[in-house]
Amino acid sequence: MNFKQNSEDTLRVIIVGHVDHGKSTLIGKLLSDLNQIQEEKINDIKKICKTRGLKFEWAFLLDALKTERDQGITIDTTQIFFRSDRRNYVFIDAPGHKEFLKNMITGATSAQLAILIIDGLEGIQEQTKRHVFLLSLLGIKDVIVVINKMDLINYDKNKFADLEAQISKYLKSINIKITAIIPISAWNGDNIVRKKTLRWYKGKVLLEVLDQFKDNAVDHGMPLRFVVQDIYKISEKRILVGRVESGKLKKKSKYVISPSNTKVSIKSFEIWPKSTKNEYVTGECIGLELNEKIFVEKGNVLSEITRSPSLTNTFEARIFWFSNQRLRINKKYKIKINTTDYEIIFSKIKKIINIDDLTEKKNDDVEKNNVADVLIDSESILCIDNFELVNNTGKFSVIDQFEVVGGGVVKSASKSELIDSHIRINENVKSEDFFVNEIDRVLKVGHRPGILWLTGLSGSGKSTIAKEVEKKLFLKGYNIFSLDGDNLRQGLNRDLDFMPESRVENIRRTAEVASLFVSAGFIVLISLISPYKVDRNKARAIRPEVFKEIFIKASIEECEKRDVKGLYAKARSGRIKNFTGITAPYEEPNKPELIIDTEKNGILECSKMLEKFVEKEFGKK
Amino acid sequence: MDHLTKLENESIFILRQAYSSIKNIAMLWSLGKDSNVMVWLAFKAFLGKIPFPLVHVDTKKKFKEMYAFRDKYEKLWNLNLILGDCPPISKIDPSLPPAARSAARKTEGLKKILNEKKFKGIIAGIRRDEQNTRAKERFFSPRDETGKWDVKNQPAELWNSFNTEYPSNVHLRIHPLLSWTEIDIWRYIKRENIPIVDLYFAQNGKRYRSLGDKDITKPVESNASTLDEIIKELQNTKTSERSGRLMDKEEENIFEKLRSKGYM
Repeated sequence: MNFKQNSEDTLRVIIVGHVDHGKSTLIGKLLSDLNQIQEEKINDIKKICKTRGLKFEWAFLLDALKTERDQGITIDTTQIFFRSDRRNYVFIDAPGHKEFLKNMITGATSAQLAILIIDGLEGIQEQTKRHVFLLSLLGIKDVIVVINKMDLINYDKNKFADLEAQISKYLKSINIKITAIIPISAWNGDNIVRKKTLRWYKGKVLLEVLDQFKDNAVDHGMPLRFVVQDIYKISEKRILVGRVESGKLKKKSKYVISPSNTKVSIKSFEIWPKSTKNEYVTGECIGLELNEKIFVEKGNVLSEITRSPSLTNTFEARIFWFSNQRLRINKKYKIKINTTDYEIIFSKIKKIINIDDLTEKKNDDVEKNNVADVLIDSESILCIDNFELVNNTGKFSVIDQFEVVGGGVVKSASKSELIDSHIRINENVKSEDFFVNEIDRVLKVGHRPGILWLTGLSGSGKSTIAKEVEKKLFLKGYNIFSLDGDNLRQGLNRDLDFMPESRVENIRRTAEVASLFVSAGFIVLISLISPYKVDRNKARAIRPEVFKEIFIKASIEECEKRDVKGLYAKARSGRIKNFTGITAPYEEPNKPELIIDTEKNGILECSKMLEKFVEKEFGKK
Repeated sequence: MDHLTKLENESIFILRQAYSSIKNIAMLWSLGKDSNVMVWLAFKAFLGKIPFPLVHVDTKKKFKEMYAFRDKYEKLWNLNLILGDCPPISKIDPSLPPAARSAARKTEGLKKILNEKKFKGIIAGIRRDEQNTRAKERFFSPRDETGKWDVKNQPAELWNSFNTEYPSNVHLRIHPLLSWTEIDIWRYIKRENIPIVDLYFAQNGKRYRSLGDKDITKPVESNASTLDEIIKELQNTKTSERSGRLMDKEEENIFEKLRSKGYM
């Protein structure tokens, strides 16, 4: 075996799919073609099959339990180790039966990549969708799809294409990236390690795809989260031990401990036999001594002063439930997060998500194997993050008495994001006393607040760009919010029509709302046609120091051609009066801070331009 | 971060989590290579001094080299060592095949010391790649007072969030080495320069790949007499690590049978 000594990287892969679609056979064949199954194991399997009067079954390689073998089902998840010429692998086999979903999830929480196996004869089944949906919830974003049993459908190109289209559509709808879709026969070993000659498939075999996969879960620029696991007292030293869950911990920086919000600095790193580094990264378990003598306990989080976690006792989460007893509102449960546990209640079930068609139901019970969005209230303040932002401090398991009954990820912890110890101590403060001023907020979020006023014709791309930039910067930790002209008109500005006077008032109100957001430390993106110079100047006058006018440029012809909302057609036919560009004027800005031409550039380039501009003007530095 | 450092950190995290959330905990020290790696990781986790006892459940049938190793490192490493004894073979279920019956003495020895010392957590150095029922284990695995492993209904274990809340009759088996493979262990022994019993190195064309009781453990054919040679041998081998352990072959599900009654 030509195994390169230095390829010491290990990839953890979970195999999911419906019952009997061929998970075990795939693993067995892959290992046997790589010449990695010990002879005694093959003999064992032969013996087991013979005793039971069965033909050779790869499943017995993994199904180690007597009941599993006797009943011919996989009950619990298992892991098998092997290597290719390129790297080491851990394959995680997960049960396909619905009853054992908790075991499947247990396996999946340690995987980096998934292989989804679909039987070419049976097609997409209940567990096919359920499994990948759960994977996406758990943060696994990359999936290799294999269409199995191609030999039984005569390598039919059309059947393959049909399944490919179906599964691609579903995976796209749940934000999963398909690394490859491969037609295989696990039983024959086609397109697993060995290529099967097919006129219509010129892609890679499974092993090549696996070997070439790069885990993109990079940690570059992530905020620091060091979670305190315990406090050791060793010869007069008080040592906080814990793991860097995100970012980098450096000796010379200033940090803050949450939830007490105390500023601290590191005196020394404590490692046995000795610390040799000045910087520790994600995944490293270390000890440290602080210069300050302060109260710290298990579950506290050390972070950069300007990028601390959310401190909150109420948050929204997406949970999965595997207890036989349904979730009870206002009953006491515990969640385990950041090395410790907290008493919580579920205060509200927002919706249940049907995994098969992604439809949502409101006000229903959460039962076994359901996924739901819920509100959680905790007695104590938690230091957590949105899962999308910082994985490790945004996921938890739910415990009822002695049993793990479910788990989940934090969807939104922003509700009381700005509560700091300051305010909590002074609960009697009246609202008009601005106890927290803008400077404090800037220090906390690490960027300046600002108003980005996107003006341009209807259909020029204002909202599309704003939404994209909002998402990008939110994920980078910005407090950012998008105000859309259309949405404002449905609520706050419902009483206004499109006559010139009303347009003036519409803009005034919007600018005032933006100004409040700025006081709260936010960057606000406003998408509003705002056709008149004079009104835009009034808006600027409210907060001139942070106001940036962005001209989203596209010709009237182009906008009319796009006509996404069908408004131009209505305006032309006279059904809409005072329509900007057709029956009402649009005054182009004289000196906007930025011009984005959406006719010359694609949407991605346009959003990138704005994103860069925001970071340059208000960014973290 | 390289592969061994990743494994090392995972184990340290598990050890610290076990110590901080379970009262009255101990670590099994079988004197084998995995066990020594585990002790080494405990030094790292607890910064040079292990804050709980080590337990050697002694069948009195180990190799003399193993006993010499134990006495030497108990002192050198300043360990708080507890010795547990095992009942005679006559007290063990006679329906078990001979080697398994002999191995089951250790289970009974362990249960005895668990009862005496009221341990709520026992740290054991088993690995997933050793044996396929161990491959189904959890990092924190509950057992009732009879040591029973309810393998058909194991608790969920999500991410690194380990449940430690159980009724008072339950103790936890903690498995910090679950993700390691045999070759990882050897590479780590080499990297960290961890002492091991000499029986692992080949003499006269034979060496022990796995150490158990001397009457039910056989050496394997090998000329690997250094760490590098062992690592090289393992890269190319097609025989299993436990091929020298007679109990594994006596019945199809013997290992599961032993484990479901409390074997490690």
